[in-house]
Amino acid sequence: MKPFAHIIKKELTEIFRDKRTLMTMFVIPIMLFPILLTVMVKTTQYFNDEANSKTLIIGFEVDDMEHPIVKNLMEVTLADSLVVLRPTVGVDEGKELIQKDSIHGFLELNASSGKELLMVWHKGTELEIADRITKNIDKVKQAMIETQLQALNIKSEDVSGFEYQMTPTASPQEMVGKLAGGFLPYVFIAFAFLGCMYPAIDLFTGEKERGTIETLLTAPIARWQILFGKMSVVVLSGLLAAMLSLLGLYISMNTLDLVQDPALLTVVKSILTAKFIFTLFALQLPLTIFIAGILIPLAIYAKSFKEAQSIITPLNIVIVLPAVIGFLPGIELNYTTAMVPVINIVLATKELAAGTLDYVYLAISAGVMCAIAALAVFISYKQFEKETNVLM
Amino acid sequence: MIEVKNLSKTFDLSKKQRKELNTDAKEFKALQEVSFTCTPGRVFSLLGPNGAGKTTTLRTIGGIIKPTRGTVTINGVDIVNNPNEARKNIGFLTGSTGLYARLTPNELIAYFAGLYGVDKATMEVRKKRLYDLLDMHFFANKQIGKLSTGMKQKVSICRTMIHDPAVLVFDEPTSGLDVISAEAIINLVRDCKAQQKTVIFSSHIMSEVELLCDDLAIIHKGKIVAASSFQDFKASSPDQSLTERFIDIIKNSEKA
Repeated sequence: MKPFAHIIKKELTEIFRDKRTLMTMFVIPIMLFPILLTVMVKTTQYFNDEANSKTLIIGFEVDDMEHPIVKNLMEVTLADSLVVLRPTVGVDEGKELIQKDSIHGFLELNASSGKELLMVWHKGTELEIADRITKNIDKVKQAMIETQLQALNIKSEDVSGFEYQMTPTASPQEMVGKLAGGFLPYVFIAFAFLGCMYPAIDLFTGEKERGTIETLLTAPIARWQILFGKMSVVVLSGLLAAMLSLLGLYISMNTLDLVQDPALLTVVKSILTAKFIFTLFALQLPLTIFIAGILIPLAIYAKSFKEAQSIITPLNIVIVLPAVIGFLPGIELNYTTAMVPVINIVLATKELAAGTLDYVYLAISAGVMCAIAALAVFISYKQFEKETNVLM
Repeated sequence: MIEVKNLSKTFDLSKKQRKELNTDAKEFKALQEVSFTCTPGRVFSLLGPNGAGKTTTLRTIGGIIKPTRGTVTINGVDIVNNPNEARKNIGFLTGSTGLYARLTPNELIAYFAGLYGVDKATMEVRKKRLYDLLDMHFFANKQIGKLSTGMKQKVSICRTMIHDPAVLVFDEPTSGLDVISAEAIINLVRDCKAQQKTVIFSSHIMSEVELLCDDLAIIHKGKIVAASSFQDFKASSPDQSLTERFIDIIKNSEKA
């Protein structure tokens, strides 16, 4: 067996016996991450459901009791048992009651500019509640318009003129891919970083701290072979953690009911083909090498595990932030974004999931990422060659 | 054989290091024109106070660091020009050498044998002989992290010897060891000498030097300040103990 393969075999044996690495590589991606994600989704859903099933209490000034808006709102409360009106003394009391969560909204009726202005006070922190108030006010507005039209002897159907229906031209795959496809590389990058982090510290800083590097450097192998052997293991760990996190996501969808809409689930499953997984892997490979290439020089520089951790941990944000930017809707892969490392891979993955990947942009993105990964590897090499960095 | 000729090593000092050392110098001369020869079948001791340059010398001989000037040859092979070939002949052991705690002795020995290009059959023969000699069989499959200091030292010895090196470099090999563990190292040095291997070792413990040494050199502030055979060294000042003579030489070199 060649020395390079010997190093890889030995490092893999060691890291698979390290509890921290096993935790970040296997337990978190396959077990904790799917459970946490499912709990998060279900909790959000629970609170949404709870907000929608809560009795909505809307306050108004007692003096406005006979106002048409209030009267129409009363009609709404008769039809919907989850809406209740509560008279108050004035605006100040209304606001105070909102802050105390005794009511959810307050109607302040002012005459201004000859038009009726309805000021709707609400807490502003509960979006579901605000949405429900708006819907009920819209119902009142619609009812009042119809009443006014009837008074003028006009049918509301005659006024509306036409009906319309929004119809998307994009396929369900494209819509899901563009809207949610950014989530995959985000997860991939976060776990690739996590997967690379501990092995990088263990294989470089740890070797220095434990005093084993000196012995290794006396072996008849080139220093670059040691570096690349170790680096391969760091990259493999990152890829493994990232791939296992995607497996964790897949398990969540199939066993933990993460995606409840059956139509959406079918679309998501149709995206996850062998070709997609392979291309995703090929796209993320230079990115993972880049991550390893950033972490390794820092791990080589650090003199202790603690120091390495304190330097590397904040870097997580720097790496994951571009992934978040790429995750945002509206940002597309074009000649400009294809030149921006990390973001280009996130956007390319999004396009890949949507089935709209332009291979010119893909080539540019992959080229840029490979170049920057090569630069990171070169920096690692230079750092590992420095005697003062490698020896304590 | 080890031949060290006009060996110099300079380290660049960072701002932080300059501040710590309270100096304006941009570099630190760790070794200056160091020369000596270690011959097969003899034990060469490199003595010197802390920071004298012992470890730098031995690391340069081991090919861990590159000299700024001068040459080191191991059995005629230049360590700078042909490092891998030269390293094949070197066994390197230090008192601070760590071992991979999550590997077993068997895995560790196989790893280093592989790095040194020792084939499996040869490795098994050598391993058995070393395990017999050091009584290592009963802990060969336990994780190194769970072994006692003495057991770990035996694993280190086995690791150093698995490729049957012709040249042995020991940098304070007994530092931090108890008497029993240190004895294993002393026996190893004696065995190496008996096998006509070239041995260089640095130590602070004068009793060890007296016990093992054939030739010696004293290094201070990166320069060799004394070098001779051990016999001549002792004969040059018969009334003084080795420690007293050593201190005298260091003090005299300070004055010079």
